[in-house]
Parts: sequence; C-alpha cells; structure tokens
Amino acid sequence: MATLQQHLPLPAALKPPEGGGPPNNGETPPGRRGLARLRQDPQLVARGGLAAFWALLAALIVLPCACFLVLAVSPRLFGQGPQWFTLSYLRQVFTGTTAVSLVDSLWVSAAAAGIGLLVGVPIAWLSNRTLLPGRRFVAGAMWLVLLLPSWLPASGWERLVQPDGVMYRIGLNFPFVTSTIMGPFGVVLLLGLRCVPFSYLAITAALRGLGQEYEDAARTHGASRITSLRLLVPILAPAITSAIAIGFAESVSDFGVAATLAYRANFPLATYQLFADVNGFPPSFPGAAAIGWLLVGSVAVPLALQARALRGRAYRVLSGRSRAAVRRRLSRGGLIASLTVVIGYFAVALGVPGFGALSSSVLSDYGASLRPTLVNYRAVFNNSGLSGPLERSLIYGLIAATVTVALGFLCANLLSRRASASGTLLDFLLLAAVALPGVVFGAGYIFAYNLPALSHVGLDLYQTTTLLVVAYVASSMPTNARVLVGAVSQVDASLRNAARAHGASATRAWARGVLPAISRPVLMAWLLTFSGILLELPLSQLLYAPGSPPASVAIEDNLGNYHFGVGTAQAVVAVAIAFTVVGLALMLFRLVTPAGWRHVGEGVNE
Amino acid sequence: MSSRGQQQPSTAAHPVRVQSMTKEYPNGKIAVEEVSFELSPGTFLVLLGPSGSGKTTMLRCLAGIERMSAGRIDIGGRAVAAPGTHLPPEQRELAMVFQDYALWPHLCARDNVAFALKRRGVRREEARWRAEALLGRLGIGALCDRFPSELSGGEQQRVGLARALIGDTGLLLCDEPLSNLDAALREQMRIEISSLVREAGTTTIYITHDQAEAFALADRIGVLERGHLVQLAEPETIYAAPATPFVARFTGLAGELAVRIVGRTPTGAVEVQLSAGTSPTPLRATPGAGLEQHAGDALLLVRPAAVSLVAPDGTGCQLFARVTDVAFRGVGYEHAVVLADGTPLNGIFSPRRARWGENVGVALQPSGCLAFPAGAVASATAVGR
Repeated sequence: MATLQQHLPLPAALKPPEGGGPPNNGETPPGRRGLARLRQDPQLVARGGLAAFWALLAALIVLPCACFLVLAVSPRLFGQGPQWFTLSYLRQVFTGTTAVSLVDSLWVSAAAAGIGLLVGVPIAWLSNRTLLPGRRFVAGAMWLVLLLPSWLPASGWERLVQPDGVMYRIGLNFPFVTSTIMGPFGVVLLLGLRCVPFSYLAITAALRGLGQEYEDAARTHGASRITSLRLLVPILAPAITSAIAIGFAESVSDFGVAATLAYRANFPLATYQLFADVNGFPPSFPGAAAIGWLLVGSVAVPLALQARALRGRAYRVLSGRSRAAVRRRLSRGGLIASLTVVIGYFAVALGVPGFGALSSSVLSDYGASLRPTLVNYRAVFNNSGLSGPLERSLIYGLIAATVTVALGFLCANLLSRRASASGTLLDFLLLAAVALPGVVFGAGYIFAYNLPALSHVGLDLYQTTTLLVVAYVASSMPTNARVLVGAVSQVDASLRNAARAHGASATRAWARGVLPAISRPVLMAWLLTFSGILLELPLSQLLYAPGSPPASVAIEDNLGNYHFGVGTAQAVVAVAIAFTVVGLALMLFRLVTPAGWRHVGEGVNE
Repeated sequence: MSSRGQQQPSTAAHPVRVQSMTKEYPNGKIAVEEVSFELSPGTFLVLLGPSGSGKTTMLRCLAGIERMSAGRIDIGGRAVAAPGTHLPPEQRELAMVFQDYALWPHLCARDNVAFALKRRGVRREEARWRAEALLGRLGIGALCDRFPSELSGGEQQRVGLARALIGDTGLLLCDEPLSNLDAALREQMRIEISSLVREAGTTTIYITHDQAEAFALADRIGVLERGHLVQLAEPETIYAAPATPFVARFTGLAGELAVRIVGRTPTGAVEVQLSAGTSPTPLRATPGAGLEQHAGDALLLVRPAAVSLVAPDGTGCQLFARVTDVAFRGVGYEHAVVLADGTPLNGIFSPRRARWGENVGVALQPSGCLAFPAGAVASATAVGR
C-alpha cells in the first residue's frame, strides 16, 4: 500500500493524515505512531537494520579483539595492571622464550611457504597443462588437505613416529626419524604440506585464466619453449606472490601444529606461547595481547603487501576469446617423475598421517601387541564421555554453519553493492578479521566476555556453550562472506528486476531469479564452514564450557593423556562424520533442487 | 604469382607450398582435409571462410602451433612439416598477429615489440630503439612505455602488428586481427596493415570471415568450406566466377532465384525464365560450374552490383518488385525489394531514394547473375583456379 500511495493520486478521503497515521482515524495513539511510521518508511527500516547489523558486528568481532589487543599498551583500562600506557609488554615479547618462539614462528612460516610453492606450482602445472593420469582427482585431494585441520595430520604423524608409536610397535625403531619429525624439520614439513593447496589453488586459477596465445605468441616470434615459459613467469607473478603471502600468513597463525607436534617436540611457536599466557595461572592478558599484536602484524603485513602487489600487477589476461591451453603429453621419464611428485605429496600429506591415525585406532594402547582390535571404536560408540564430544561438535557445526552463512550472505550483499563508506569499512573489517589468528580471536573472547561490566548487565556468557558457538560464527563469518561475495556480485539486479517486471512478488522474484544462481555457492560455503567448525581447535580449546568439550578438545586431551587408541578412533569417526555430512548435503542438493539450479556455474572451469 | 601491391617482394619473403594438409583431432573431427596451394614470395593470401571452416586450424598448422595429421608444408623452400618432421614455431622463420593481440601484459609496448628481435641477436639497446621507431611509424611512438592494459584495442593491435613486422621474417600470419575492433578502427587498421605489409614485401597469410576485408586486402583469396579449400583465385575471379554456390553466397549475394534454362547465346551466356511468375524479357546469366551441359531447372545467384532499380514501365525492366526497406548509405541508398513471387533481393544500390512500398522495376546485369544447376550446394574439393 505504501508503494501505491507514493505513486497514485488518492482521493482526499483516502489520503493518510500528516505524520503517516492510518486514514480516517484522526489522532494516532502515541505508542503506535513510531510503528506506523516504520511501516511507511522503508528507508527508516533499512537504516535501523543496518545499525543493528553494525552493532552485531561490533559485538562479535570488533569489541572482543579491540578490548584484548589494547591491553598490550594500556593494561589499566580493563584492570589488568597499574599502567594507563606502557610499552613494557611489547618490549618483553622481544626477550626470552617469547622472542625465541616468535623468531621460530617466522622462519618456520617462511620455510613452509617456500615448500608450498616448490611443491604446489609443479602440481598445478602438471594437472592443468599436461595429460597427467588422474589429474581430475588432484583438485579434490587438495581440498581434502585444506579442509583437514592441521592438528589432525600432525597427530597422525606423531602417533606413527613417537617412541611408543605404530612404527615402534611394528619393529621399525628409527630414533633418527623420530627426532627429525618431532622437531623443527617435522614442524616445517607439516606446515609446508598445508601450504601446498594454497599455492596449487592460486596458480591453478592463474593458469586457467592464461590462454595459450601468450605462449604461442612467444614461440611464433622466435622464443624456445624454455624462453616462452620464462616469459609466462612474470604473468603468473601475482599468483605466486599470493601463494607465498597466504602460505606464510596461514603458517604464522596456525595453532594446530603448534599445539600438538611442535609443543610435544619442545619447539614452542608464537601462537602456542599466546595460548600459554592466557591459559596459565595467573593468566597474563597484557603479555598475550603483545604477542597478539606481533602475530597480527606478521599476518597482516604479507597480506597487505600481497593485496598491494595484486592491485598494481593483476594482469587481466582472461578474455572470452582466450584459446584454451593445450595439454602436453608427458614423455615416459616425465610421466614417472610427475607421478612421483604428485603421489609422493599426497602420500606424505594424507596417506602417512591417515595411516598413522587409522593404525593407531585399531591397536590397543598398552603392550606391544600388533593384533588389530575394534575395542577403541566400541569405546567411542558405547561410552557417552567419548561419543558426547563428537555429537556436540556435530550440533555446534550444524548451528554455527547455518548462522554463519546467513550472516555471511548479508555481508556479501552489502559488499557487492555500489561503493559506499559503510561498504568500504565492512570490506576492511572483514579483511582484517580474516587475517586475525584464531588464537587471538579466542583470547579476545575470553577476555571481553569475562569483563565484570557484562555481568552487571546480566550477560554471563563466559564459559558457556553459547559463547563458543558465537565465537565459531564470528571467526568463520569473514571468510564466509569473502567466499560468497563473488557469487553474490555476479547476480545481476536484472535477474530480480526481470522477475518483478513479469509479475513476481519480491519474495518470489528472489526465489526464482536469484536463489538458483547462488544456491551452489551458498551450499559450498555452508559445507566449508561446517567442516572447519567440526574439528576447530584454537577457539574450542580456549572457550569450551567446562564439562562439555567439543571433539577437537576431547581428542587432544585423550592423545595428551596417552589414550592414543580412543583419541585416534575419535578422530577417525569425526572425519567420517564430516565426510558423511558433506556427501549427504551434496546428494540432497542433487536430488532436491531442479536441474537448472545445478546447471548454473557448471562447466566454467574445465 | 606476383604481388598486386606497388612494392617488389622482399628478398627475404618466402615462397610457401602446402601439400595435402590434413588435420584430424583425437575425437575424430577432421578440421582440415587435403588442402593444397602454393604462394610465390610477397603474395598476400586471404583465407576466407565461416566459423568452423578450418581456417584457424590451417593457420596454426602453418605456424607450427598445431601438428598436422598428414601433408607437407614448405616455407622458403624448406620442409617445416612433413611425415616425420615438425619444426617448432620458433624455427619456421615467421611472425604472427593474433586476434586477441596476445601482448605480454608485464612488458611495455616497446619491450613487446623488441622481443621479436631477440631471434636476430640484436643488442637490447638497438632492439628497443628499432621498436620505438616502428611504433612511431604506426602513430603510437608516444605510448612506448605503456603496458598493454593502458592501451586501447586499436593501439594494442598496432603493437601486435609492429611485433610481427619488426623481425622482417619471410612469412607473416594474421589470425583475424581486426575482428575485435570497431568498424571505423577496423577500416583504418586494414589500410595500415595493407600498406605496411606491402611495403615490407612479406608473404602474408591472413584469415578472416569478412568478405569485404578479404576483397580489400588480398592478392589471392582462398575460400574454405568445412575444411576444404573450395576455390583459390584472385578477388576479381572469386567475385565474377565463383566455383560453387557456397563461394558465391559467402562473397555476397542480393538474392537467389529459382529459374529454368530456356536457351543459350552465342557468347556463352544462358537465357533463363523464372520458375514461378514471368518476366517481361528472358533473363541472361553467366553459367557457373556444372551448367555447361545442364538443361532444365537452375539456381540464379544474383550479385548486388548486378541489380538496378528502374521504372516498372521503362525500358530495361525485367522483373517487377515492391520496395520493403531503404537505408541511407551516404553516397546513395540501399534498397531491399520483394519480387512478385515473394523472392527477396537485398543490397540494391541506387542514387535515387525509392519510397517504402513503391512498385519498382528491376534490371539485372548478366555478368553478375550466376546460374548453377538446381541443387548444386555440395562443396567442391580443392579447386585451384
């Protein structure tokens, strides 16, 4: 009706009175006046909604992290020390064990990013530019490496090479291997293996956009194959820079390897040092915040440099007429070498830790017996203390992923609209939040939601499951929004307008015109978020409600307390749950959605 | 065959000989089949054909980017592709202009052009200087330091052209270089390509699907249909005596009339009558391939230039028609008419503007009316006329 009133001249008797009250009703009761005004002013509703959205973002992301990080220079602000302003905590970071852990984190991350590039680039090239057998499986396996939380392969490797591990039990007692893996080399190796998918994905995206014509142009103007390849490297430079920056940032902020293999190898990294400061007794929030600043800097600087590099040198090489690159047939020697690289990588990244976890889960914890047993799995399924964390994480994952995708979608919509100050601010905020290490996020939540001021207003969230789920949502939402913004941006307003112009209501127009186009990206974003939350470690470790540990915390506790069999069995079951949910969701999408929905976005990549 | 341009062929220009070129893809699709032709040094050959006719595949086989399934290519008297031989592109002594320019995005215009001198072992400084000089000749000397993303489409293609010409190779390949440009720029670039290439005297093979571009540029035109070279001849021959109805259609028709052969003249022309309806006088036409002994039904393919509008009751009126469209073309008007039997004729030029719906007479020039046996639509195989 409001729309009609705006566009049609109404008879005087039907005209609403000044101030927006209902027609023919004289004075409106004061209490209802505001509501009626809201109904008749969509812009006011939108402004109110936007304000609520920003308040939510502030409560979820900005305030917890800001409250925590400010402690590094002003501990008195929240009663954590006598100084209003001090640099002493930041100075302390550069002394003693904290300084060592920070330096170790930096060089280990640089080395890991290097390994990621060295292995990821050839695999990307082989699977995109050659007729390598099995190349179609490479992308899927890379996503698997990416989705598995880093502590899981680390635990698998540990169980394999520990002094009482699987290798030892089957008679392969090589102390050298144990000391190598359970030390800096093992940490670099594991983090490096995790960097490979980032390099692979960045280079693959660049190679797909790189038509054959650049190479052809070089060859027809006299360049040899090697020279023409050299000519392509600068074109791929933005992707290479991205791969290094993301690999480095991911490694610096990683908590999974730091809290498992590195910790047990007595090789502390900065993220674990921060966790220890927060989790110690008494906790040192200002000290942890100082480490947090350096971690944020270590992550933000390379990411900012990468963004700057991309702005200046992102070559638009993809055009509608680009000729698809020719896949080369590998020579016999080349084929053997290539398969060795690809299979070797997946064997080390997935096979070895997978074997470590699986084999450990079917062996009893004590004695040297090699007889396989299902006793650990029976314990997991029959003992509610062991199955409870898995059920808990499943429920947390389902709820948090759904809320995250809803909020992420809202953010993506705001980001995809025309440039505005709030859009720019949101973009910056989400980028900054993506760069925030999980452990800093968790520490922020511990500190902010334990402040007495919140208790005074009746907000007692500290040490509750609600806070953990809220933290899951808040930490996943920035990445989720960035994943969705691409899909949302591609949905032209004309899709919705066309449906409206042909008689559909706003809801129907959205459902018919927009939803089909974004259904697949939304599902993929949901699955990515769910998989991430199911086995999330840093937030879970810092924020779980006493007596209600989620899966990752329970598994780590069991492994830490030498209950290797049930710990690894829990891990195997958790991974199986993740696979089942992903498989079911994909199958349901295929069965339930109309064929046209599934067609959107298909066949773009190959 | 010598070049039609004013310049003599360059001493470096290569003769090209292609024998039985065949390209079959692994999925069994035959893109090019048994194509043969020879070019003398300095010839500008345009390969003309619709999408999917195999012209790009032919060019890529000539460049060495794709490997032929069978056949032989000689460039400059040297076998570059033959059974058991496949020289890579960089050893074929050629250059190429690409449809999408294919300028390396990380190199500025000068360095893109200078790259092509590396094969000549030219010192870096000299290469850059020569690149600047050539870009200056192409009118973009001031843009030497710009990267491809900072150049317009026309400027990018000028850089692509400069890169292809600077190496002074014996053979230049052009892969629809004007297809991404707007109409005005296309004409300007066509003139630049024509003059620069002829000045250099390089043997050139240029592919396009635009018949006007082909006629304007070529010393010889090769028309391709579904992987076959159906006619190879001078532009005038292609226009006046197309080998097949496909060639006639692809190189521009006003319309097609179903006719019946009613006689032959001593000069070799055929006399035809419309199959449906009548004309005041019999029509005369040039017999196409296969019509020497043919009698009965035929297909009359009419070139636009052969049609003129006359008064319906005036002399020379051969057919009656009604005007269905008039388009102003600057120097005159282009008309579309429909004959009494419903057959449309398009692209009829007249300095006088006819009115929409006006009844007019149509006169046909015999030289632009080509008669083929009815049903003659199948492609001919390698016809080298």
